[in-house]
Amino acid sequence: MTETNLMEESVDIPADKETILARPLEERDDIIICENVHKWFDDFCAVRDVSMRVKRGEVVVIFGPSGSGKSTFIRMINRLEEHQSGRIVIDGIEMTNDARNLDAIRREVGMVFQQFNLFPHMTVIGNITLAPQRVRHTPQREAEAMALRLLERVGIPEQANKYPAELSGGQQQRVAIARALAMRPQIMLFDEPTSALDPEMIKEVLDAMRELAATGMTMLCVTHEMGFAREVADRMAFFDEGALVELGTPEQIFNSPKEERTQMFLDQIL
Amino acid sequence: MSAAVTANATPPPPPASTVGYIGWLRKNLFSSWFNSIVTVVLALGLAWLAVNVVGWLIFTADWEVITSRVPLYLVGLYPAEEYWRPQVCVLLISALLGMSWRLWGSTARVFAVGLGAVIFVIAVLPHEMALFNRILLLLNPVTIGLGYVAAGPLGLRRPKRIVAVSISIVVVSMLLIQGIEGVPGLEPVNPQDIGGLMLNLLLALFGISMSMPIGIALALGRSSNLPVVKIACIGFIEIVRGVPLITLLFMSRHILPLTFPENIQVSGLYLAAITITLFSSAYMAENVRGGMAAVSPGQTEAARALGLRGWQTTLLITLPQGLQNIIPAIVGQFISLFKDTSLVFFIGMLDIVEMGRSALQDSSLAFIDNGREVYLFIAVVFWVFTFSMSYVSRRIERALGVGKR
Repeated sequence: MTETNLMEESVDIPADKETILARPLEERDDIIICENVHKWFDDFCAVRDVSMRVKRGEVVVIFGPSGSGKSTFIRMINRLEEHQSGRIVIDGIEMTNDARNLDAIRREVGMVFQQFNLFPHMTVIGNITLAPQRVRHTPQREAEAMALRLLERVGIPEQANKYPAELSGGQQQRVAIARALAMRPQIMLFDEPTSALDPEMIKEVLDAMRELAATGMTMLCVTHEMGFAREVADRMAFFDEGALVELGTPEQIFNSPKEERTQMFLDQIL
Repeated sequence: MSAAVTANATPPPPPASTVGYIGWLRKNLFSSWFNSIVTVVLALGLAWLAVNVVGWLIFTADWEVITSRVPLYLVGLYPAEEYWRPQVCVLLISALLGMSWRLWGSTARVFAVGLGAVIFVIAVLPHEMALFNRILLLLNPVTIGLGYVAAGPLGLRRPKRIVAVSISIVVVSMLLIQGIEGVPGLEPVNPQDIGGLMLNLLLALFGISMSMPIGIALALGRSSNLPVVKIACIGFIEIVRGVPLITLLFMSRHILPLTFPENIQVSGLYLAAITITLFSSAYMAENVRGGMAAVSPGQTEAARALGLRGWQTTLLITLPQGLQNIIPAIVGQFISLFKDTSLVFFIGMLDIVEMGRSALQDSSLAFIDNGREVYLFIAVVFWVFTFSMSYVSRRIERALGVGKR
């Protein structure tokens, strides 16, 4: 029993959780630094001149109209898209083409996709234990024990031996969250995690994300769930036409946005 | 709440005229006066055909052309005193089937029972065969049972052991049939004498088991980032796919030996095996590539986001899903490979079709009019094997749940 508790603490929750949440935001270090980042698809400039710093343990909600570059932006944080100018530093590691840097960054950053992207030919537990075993070389037993605890955390321990196709959308997305957490990342990226879900399943996924935020995880979430943003986000970032238009606390964004475009967009969706 | 209660009540049955045999007949065969006429005419035609065919099968056909030459159809000109070698191979296969029956259930049972029955018939049919060989054949049902019993203690539930046992049985079989230099009792047999159905099966087995890994390697090479590898793979695939198999077989016979040292004679058996394998692997490569292209790009992204390397992503994520996508295409490829083995008579090998032809042209002229029986028999033999393959593929597909998603 004691052993399990010890492992739980070391495995599931960042070791410095207490210290992270105990310190006020301003005093924490920057875990994500983006400076003048650009990204083009052929001639089209998808992300233009974005600079943003994210503190350790901070939750940033990114929102904006479709095609505004918000997905492309967070996909650059783990190099699913390559930035073509500017600078990105993740937890002190410079994002370059160096494979070692890239491996280190991908270990630090977990990602959850709109379409879940679970591996359909593996069971739920197979999905979760794959990367820890293959990348971190965690022994199978240990990986499975951790997977079960993560499934418990997202509320579906009884689905461990099913295949993704046998689960509902909300359950699949929670498995995807558990799969990303199994690599013990410092940062979690969410790319519209609830957009492909039926309304009654959105809440269960948001609850899992809420719980995660409470543990001091650094999170970047592209989402239009404004209730979630108001309640959980430390800051909100409004993207339009590839640019970071406005960055501020939820209170400031909702009550007194500085930019007209932010106000117009909020009027449309609220 | 009341709506739910109504929904739970037993719904009314459908009208009687739309269900059961009568409903089916009315809907499918007699839906209008024109369809009724078509149905009656076709039924009469089919009945006439059936009467003729069955009548011919029972009264006219003379099956002596088959029954008197069973060993020739099965093993060609393989020396009679060495028949025990292929028979031992069949015993090994029986044991393997017995094990599969234990582990895999009903699908393997069909084949175990089927093989046992066919071999029993061959053993008791009146044709020239030594008593010793008949006894060896009759041992097959026993070996099936032994395999069934042994499967548990051998720990054959683990995939690795299954693969190991299967591969060793295949290798042992091939060595047995071919013979080993210098081992008493296992003198090498002239490869040209390996014939009949055994030749078709050996070529198919070799081709299937080798073209799969080669095809996968070619497909991966084709999508490689290294230009030399990529161009070599594309070149091989496109050249081999662009040439008919017969032409390749002729080339292997007449052009390839020019590159060998003068005193080395390579038997047509090996040339045929290699040619068929390479030919099939080019097609396999394109199937595999198609299957992998159909895997959603989100799968690769998820794997990369988790930190898996490129080769890990391919081997663990893309390839397994790609192969699962193309099981029907793979089996189609195997089936066509098996049928293509009958082309080897062009380079002087005596497969089952050629043994049939030689029966018709026998110098005694006894069977000169028995073409129907011979080709019908050969067609049935091929059909049994190809149908078994597609049956197994459907079972595998269902087991893997393809199409459910």
